[in-house]
This record gives sequence, structure tokens and C-alpha cells, in this order.
Amino acid sequence: MQNELFTSYETDVFFDEMFGSDGIAPLDHYRSILNRLKSLEPTQIEEKQKQADSSFLEHGVTFTVYGDDEGTERIFPFDLIPRVIPDKEWQKVEQGLRQRILALNLFLNDVYHDGKIMAEGVVPEEVVKSSAHYRQEMVGFDVPRDIFVHICGTDLIRDETGRYLVLEDNARCPSGASYLLENREIMKKTFPGTYQAMSVRSVEAYPELLLRSLEFLSPRQSQKPVCVLLTPGVYNSAYFEHTFLARQMGIEIVEGKDLIAIDGHVYMRTTHGLVQVDVIYRRLDDAFLDPLFFEEDSLLGVSGLMDAYLKGNVALANGIGTGVVDDKVTYAYVPEMIRFYLGQDPILEQVPTYLCWNDQDRDYVLNNLSELVVKSANESGGYGMLVGSASTKKEREEFAQMIQASPRDYIAQPIISLSRHPTFCENGIEGRHVDLRPFILYGEDIEIVPGGLTRVALKKGSLVVNSSQGGGSKDTWVLKD
Amino acid sequence: MRLYVLHKTYYRYPSPVRESFNELRLQPLSNDWQHCESCFVSVLPTAQMRQYLDLNGNLVHHFEIPYEHSKLIIESRSTILTQKRVDFDNFPYGVSLQSLREVEGQPECRPYLQTSQFIDINPEAWRMAVDVRADSQDVFQTAYQIMEFIYLNYEYCVSTTTVETHANEVLQSKRGVCQDFAHAAIALCRCLGIPARYVSGYFYDATRDQSMRGAGASHAWLEVMVNGYGWFGLDPTNNRVVDENYVILGSGRDYTDVAPVTGTYFGPSPESLQVSVEVKRLDD
Repeated sequence: MQNELFTSYETDVFFDEMFGSDGIAPLDHYRSILNRLKSLEPTQIEEKQKQADSSFLEHGVTFTVYGDDEGTERIFPFDLIPRVIPDKEWQKVEQGLRQRILALNLFLNDVYHDGKIMAEGVVPEEVVKSSAHYRQEMVGFDVPRDIFVHICGTDLIRDETGRYLVLEDNARCPSGASYLLENREIMKKTFPGTYQAMSVRSVEAYPELLLRSLEFLSPRQSQKPVCVLLTPGVYNSAYFEHTFLARQMGIEIVEGKDLIAIDGHVYMRTTHGLVQVDVIYRRLDDAFLDPLFFEEDSLLGVSGLMDAYLKGNVALANGIGTGVVDDKVTYAYVPEMIRFYLGQDPILEQVPTYLCWNDQDRDYVLNNLSELVVKSANESGGYGMLVGSASTKKEREEFAQMIQASPRDYIAQPIISLSRHPTFCENGIEGRHVDLRPFILYGEDIEIVPGGLTRVALKKGSLVVNSSQGGGSKDTWVLKD
Repeated sequence: MRLYVLHKTYYRYPSPVRESFNELRLQPLSNDWQHCESCFVSVLPTAQMRQYLDLNGNLVHHFEIPYEHSKLIIESRSTILTQKRVDFDNFPYGVSLQSLREVEGQPECRPYLQTSQFIDINPEAWRMAVDVRADSQDVFQTAYQIMEFIYLNYEYCVSTTTVETHANEVLQSKRGVCQDFAHAAIALCRCLGIPARYVSGYFYDATRDQSMRGAGASHAWLEVMVNGYGWFGLDPTNNRVVDENYVILGSGRDYTDVAPVTGTYFGPSPESLQVSVEVKRLDD
């Protein structure tokens, strides 16, 4: 008995994760899950979806939306159809990501030391120094273990031919690992048989690997390092994730007011008195960390934290000043960084980028606004962006003005037809655009849990997958060979 | 077998050094038996990395650090797919030592029959080689006997030799590490006219009790030419014919040609040198 879920499924002109580019036959690695879906009664599907949604609520898997008067906490919508990636395909992605995080770390080391890549004219010095997240305070400082980015969330998309492209790097405080873990928990309960039969590579080691990467940074290696997770507090959009990861790792979650810096060391206030802290997994942007150094009126940070950090008495993950590589202008130079520091070509390609900072590129961008995506160089979460094809004339004019007023702050990219994935929608299963955020951990070695968080743009036709813009997520299954 | 190797080298200098020029041979080869899926070689302080192929066909990374620095960290991460390269039930017996005359002039073999920096062909070595050979007429059989002889009669001990210990000295003292064992075996092979080359690389210790020697460091062994069959790897440190547990970084006449890290700089000797090698098996 087969249901009719896929009978009217259309892949249109897009690369479909399940049906490939021709859209006729399902790809081999999707056959089992497709058969399972087809064998379900409509009532069973509804039941499974309800079961999944209620698990999320019970587990408190929520996020907060900013700039919305209601300030609501929502559950992150979850789609039952997993994204499946065959082993060979994943191996290439994984190697590309390793290469990339190595280059990014070397770049940050270089930027805050000799600046060779700028001296050689490969990356313009003014681009680096004018970056909103460049931290002069870090010049000459050797970060613990010479690693700046310990946790990186690199967003990948696939174009109409199915090729993976890097869309952006999140090297400050990337979110989403908790959803990746929760999604897996729920899929294991929802499709236990299929999950087992398909031999999916496990992701459960993430918290342990993360803790190991943190402990590796401790300045006191002779004893069990004291690691804490520093959260901005309960109103932060990712607060659920902070509590989740702290609990999974078995470390304390603290706010700025729980910490105190004395004589260049950081201590945590506990019921047993002060405890010296070795490593802070901070989920707080640089600017809020220490009111003595950065934002004077930050109530979230710890006075004296920077002093302790620069004395090498406490480690921060990620390091300070990593935002330089999140800058979308710097992003454009990553392929050159890989060639420079590693002497090899990038394994993963990225989206061609026009830099409005450059006169020629800017002219092109201004003349072709309706065919491009314009992004603000330093915003994240899908804020401050114009999708040319879906914009009104008025919006385009506004962006043109903003670009001319501060060209350094904008970049533009061709509109990529992101791949789509069959997704449960109001009227049955339809294709929705997806991306993939793998999480890369860099401690004693580089570790990447197989897959990552697949985000899906639930609005029909939308290319924006961010949770703050109405995106949802899927579990990602990387298969063993 | 898919293997992942992380090789870290960490030099710390007592006071800043400058004008450091370095060559690294840390990228596994791709050949009939192994495919290097990826290899990332990175250094700190940061430097521009360049690559070239040397005369032995090994990939060399080259970089220079002109500015003052007091530490140098070199890391190499590689993923290699290795193939079964020998049939243990069917070793290439039946090629006579006499027939090697046909290949001795070939450019592929000639350099590996000569004296080289750390390996001498001299009467003492020749006498030892003749004794080990006994009445064998077969190339593989003889090379195997040489490997076994060294494994059984030489003492494996760390820090009695250096990277610059000559094969002559090893043949006398009968002790050393994998590099010395390989040099000694090569010397004996060359004395008997068997083309033999030095191989640097890694190996994965699949034994349950991790009883193999040299797994936690870079490893070295030799390859001998069996004409008509090609090069065969022999590991005198472990008395083992080289199989898919081994990863080849490069080969040459002796250690000089394939030293993983070589270079020059102005400044004092390193105050410490730490090397760590980790070989992991990945899912196929």
C-alpha cells in the first residue's frame, strides 16, 4: 500500500536533495527513507509530527525572536523528512571544512602578528583593519594553543547542479548545535527502524568533543580544568542552547555577574566560595565581555576579564577578534588565504562576491541590484539583506543609498538557486530551500560531527533559512559507506 | 584501509631566531598502493607555503620566516586510502640475484645501488651481507633474510643514535631505531647488488596490545627492487613485509633525501623539540 504523498511532487528548476537535478528518480541514498514515507498512513504522519512537536516543547527547545514586539519564544519548527548525505559526498565536504578552518586560524594568527598576507598584498590591509570586529587589543598576543576559532559554524548551500558552496563562516558564537542533537534524538524515536537500517553516522559525541576542545585550552594542564559556559542570560535568543550544552558537558553555566576577576585571574562565585576558572566558553560577543576594555556600559561582562586573558590565566573560546573572518568582505578572500597559507587550492568553492568597497564592483552592483543579493558585511541572522529578485523598487533605492553612503559595509552576490528538499507543508509535501551548517571543533585536532544542522526556509519560495526569519530545521543523516 | 595521520612538530628556541628557511616532506605520495585524499600542512608563525616536486618525486613544502620568532610549529594532517600491496601467500620468489644485472644501469635503480650520504658500500658490509645471504640465489628471499637478520640480531633502543648516525656505525653497534635499521638493511642489500631505497612514512599498529615498534612516531623502512615485480617494502624494525597498514611519505637514497623537516636559521639551537604522530583508522 502506498500513500500519495509524492504523486504531485514537483522539483521545478532546482536541484532537489532527494531527486537530484533531473527530478525523475529518487537518488539511491534516499530510497529507504522514501519507501518508509510512502508506506505511512496519513494519520500516522500526523501523529508522528505531533509526537515530534510535543517532544520539542517538553524538552524546551525554543528560541527568541528579536525586533518583534511580542518578543516571543517559539519552538524551532522541525520537519520530519531527514536530509540524507552519502558518505563519499560528506568526506569531501569534511575535508574542505578542515582546510578552511586551518586557513582561517592561520589568517587570524597572521592578522594579529606579522601580517604577512597583508604585506604580500594578498588581502588588503585596509579591509582587515576597517573590519567592525578587528580588535587592536589582540595585536601581538599569543592565544592559548595558537587557536582562535575553536568552534566554527560554516554555512553551506548547494547550487542548481548540486555543488556545495560555502556561504559564510560563523567564527564568533555560532548557534545551532543543540538543535542538531535534539533533532537526532527525536528522529531516533520517530523513525527507529529506518534510522537503524540506514546505518547513520552518529552525532552524539558533540558535547564530549566540545568539552575536550575546551579543556585542551586550559592554562593549568596539571589538573582537571574548570570550564564554564558564559551566557548573556535568559533573554538571549540562544539561551536554550546554552543551558543544553552546559548540561550535556557537565559544566557550570554562568552569567557575567557570577564571575569576578581578581589579580589577573577569573573566579566563579559558588556556594563553596570562589573557584578559579580556566576556560570560558563564552556565548557573548567580544564587545560585551569586559566593560573596562570594550563597551563601557555592558552589564553582561566581567571587569578585568581581558586582563586575565592577556596574562594567559584564562582561555576564551572562541578567542577575541575572530569576527574579522565573519566579515563578508574578508570572506571574499578566503580562497586566497587557503592558497597562501596552505599552498593548495580550496576544496570547497564559495559564492562569488562583489565588494562594494571596490569602485568597479560597486558600479556593477548598483546597476544590477535586481539580480543580486545584497548583504550587510557584519550582520548575521538574515538581518540587513536585500534579495534583488524579490524586492520592490523602493527597497532597492534604499539599499543603493546605503551602499553609496558606506560601501565598506556591503557586499553583493549572485542569487544562487539553493537546493530544495521535500518538506511537509500545509498542502502535503513540497520542495523547500535548505542549507547546511556543520560544526567544526578545533582543539587538539579538528573534529567535525558528521552532517550538521540542515535549516529549511519554510515559506514557499523563500531563500532565507534563518530561524529568526521563519526557518525550520531537519535532521541530517550522513550514511556509513 | 582509510588512515588519518596527525603529525605535529614543535620547536621552541631559547631566544628569538630569524631567517628560517625550511623544507618539509610531510605529504604522503599517491601511487599504485595508496591514494592521498587530502593533506594539509600548516606552520606557525604564519608563512606563505609553496610546493614543488623533488628529484625523487616527493612533494616538498617550502616556506621561510624572515622575522624574529621563538617557536616554530609544523602540523600535517593527512587522510590516506591504502590498498593491499602484497599477496602474503604469493611472494615474488623466483627472481635470481644474477638477473639484477639487467636492471642495474636503469635510471630507476642506479641511484639505489650506490654509496650515499649515510650508506656505504665497503668490504666489511659486503662480508656481513654475504654471510646473511648464505646460499640464497633469490632476490626476495635474500632481502627477506636481511630484514630478518636485522630484526633478530639488532637491539631496538631509542637515543643511542641520532638522525645523523651512519649505516657503518649501525652495522658495528647493532642497535638503533627504525631509521638505523633501514640504513643497515639498505647497506647490506646494495652490497649484494639489490637496489634498495629508504622510505619514510607512518604505520598503523593494528595489534591489540600495540606491540609494534615505532607507531607513535614517523617510521622508516626500505624498499627493494624485484625486477619484473617492482618495489617491495620491508620493515626490519618489525620484521614485516609492508602492507596496507603503512603510509609512504616519500622515498630516496637514504634519510637525507626524505627527512620530514629540514632547514636553516640564524640563532641558538632549539631548547626543546617535541614531535607527536597519531595514526587513526577511519571508516572505509
